[in-house]
Amino acid sequence: MSFISFEFIILFVCCFLLYCLAGNKGRKYILLAASSVFIGYYHPMFLVTALLISLLSYYAGQCIEKVRLSGHARTAYAVTVLLLVGGWILFRYADKLSGNGSWLFPLGISFYTFQAISYLTEIYWEEEKPEKNLTDFLLYMLFFMKFLAGPIERSAGFLPQIRNLQKPSYPMMVYGLRLIVVGLMKKLVIADQLSPYINGIFDSSHTASGIQLLMACLLYPVELYADFSGYTDMAIGGAMMFGIALSPNFNRPFVAQSTTDFWRRWHMSLSFWVRDYLYMPLASATRRWGQWGITCSLLVTFVALGAWHGAGWTFVVYGLIQGIVIVYELKTQTWSNAVRKSRWNRLYSAFSVIRTYLVFALSLVFFRSASVSEACSFISRMSFQHNVSWKEMNIGMSDHICIVTGAGLALIFLYEYFMARTDLLERLSRVPLPLRWAIYYLVIFAILAYGKFGMEEFIYLQF
Amino acid sequence: MMNTSEILEQLNCIFRKVLKNDSLVLTETTTAADVDGWDSLTNMQLITEIEKRFVLRFTFREIVKLKNVGDLCSVILSKLKQA
Repeated sequence: MSFISFEFIILFVCCFLLYCLAGNKGRKYILLAASSVFIGYYHPMFLVTALLISLLSYYAGQCIEKVRLSGHARTAYAVTVLLLVGGWILFRYADKLSGNGSWLFPLGISFYTFQAISYLTEIYWEEEKPEKNLTDFLLYMLFFMKFLAGPIERSAGFLPQIRNLQKPSYPMMVYGLRLIVVGLMKKLVIADQLSPYINGIFDSSHTASGIQLLMACLLYPVELYADFSGYTDMAIGGAMMFGIALSPNFNRPFVAQSTTDFWRRWHMSLSFWVRDYLYMPLASATRRWGQWGITCSLLVTFVALGAWHGAGWTFVVYGLIQGIVIVYELKTQTWSNAVRKSRWNRLYSAFSVIRTYLVFALSLVFFRSASVSEACSFISRMSFQHNVSWKEMNIGMSDHICIVTGAGLALIFLYEYFMARTDLLERLSRVPLPLRWAIYYLVIFAILAYGKFGMEEFIYLQF
Repeated sequence: MMNTSEILEQLNCIFRKVLKNDSLVLTETTTAADVDGWDSLTNMQLITEIEKRFVLRFTFREIVKLKNVGDLCSVILSKLKQA
């Protein structure tokens, strides 16, 4: 049941209406019931798996707190985390190991397993108390607007909202709807329009020309961003309509001037998770090694971040590239700071933005390819030949699609540029009514006229 | 025995050296968000330098709980008292 499907709209509308009619105590049960239907609709076993992992985490949290005084908290914590990670690895690799394709990878497991580990770690570190209310905890794990692909929520931010679910206010509902429309624009007008052409090149890279490989490599980050941040906008907007604020996942990643900065802007809920629960403990444990400790911690962290995306060396290489570049940036920080203070600052900033994008685009070739050898062949065959025709350069896209996606992308970048300065969606409420509705109709018309329908799946659903 | 302002002065020197920022002035309420370059990557370098300067060792839990420079001063002070 994708966000862009008739079934989801029915579920969402029913849930929303019941939620508005329900009393304070009934709201969480409505959200939990809707979440169960949402997950179970994909496959009943996905719901069973999610419930089992949630129950394990709930009781483990209580257990860690209970056995703290007897000194067994570390054992209880370690055993539960091992079970969670072991279960996740089992599901991730079972299909590959069995070789018969009979194993289903439960949707959202990577996301809710990370939420469970974060919850248990905070309890183990005595930063938080275990949740007593099972319904609240289940909603933290299973809430349908973030279940499939995050954002990966922290219990400290999410659970207090669940404990005090309010009737959604009109401004929040409207804001949520506007955010959903922005998400639809990114997904339908940019990502889904680009997707078939980029997929075509990646899926038959051996027959594509050098310039086509280069174009696919350069365009894939845009597709991935429009797809994933579109999904995130819809998730955050949908949750907002129930009065729940989810964590942001993107903050204009393509203006980052370094890969270090990029990872503070791209899939933020995952990168902050690995920073807090993997990098920090590793860096702390190895800090006596000096710079080597930080280097090793960074490499291990980014390899793990890459491997989180899937079974296969391609994801490991993808993570490793990020780690190596960040280590390089750390080592050359003094030099780059000196350039930034010089009169070459502006030129260097522009160069840094382009370099960061290119590094990410290149690493995504591994992320997108079926094998490391295929990715290497893809990169080695990319060429910068001139005298190529526009027909070859546009990787099969018609002029109409080039203009539509180009204009859509320019609009989204403009929107994000202004959003970084002022909340455009909130300011829209202060625009005179006729103009506001003209904007609504224009955007909806643009989505209906220029969006590509029928491709419901999101890229990050596979993780 | 050192007091908080003396610790703060020493911390200022360490931060200036590690973050390569000679104009940096720390107060007890300063957080990582207030200081350019104080991030998850430089945080552990700072911790290592502080441990060397004050000849002490933080536990990971102590590092996680630090919210601002004031917290850092308090932990150092309590560790120096214990020594």
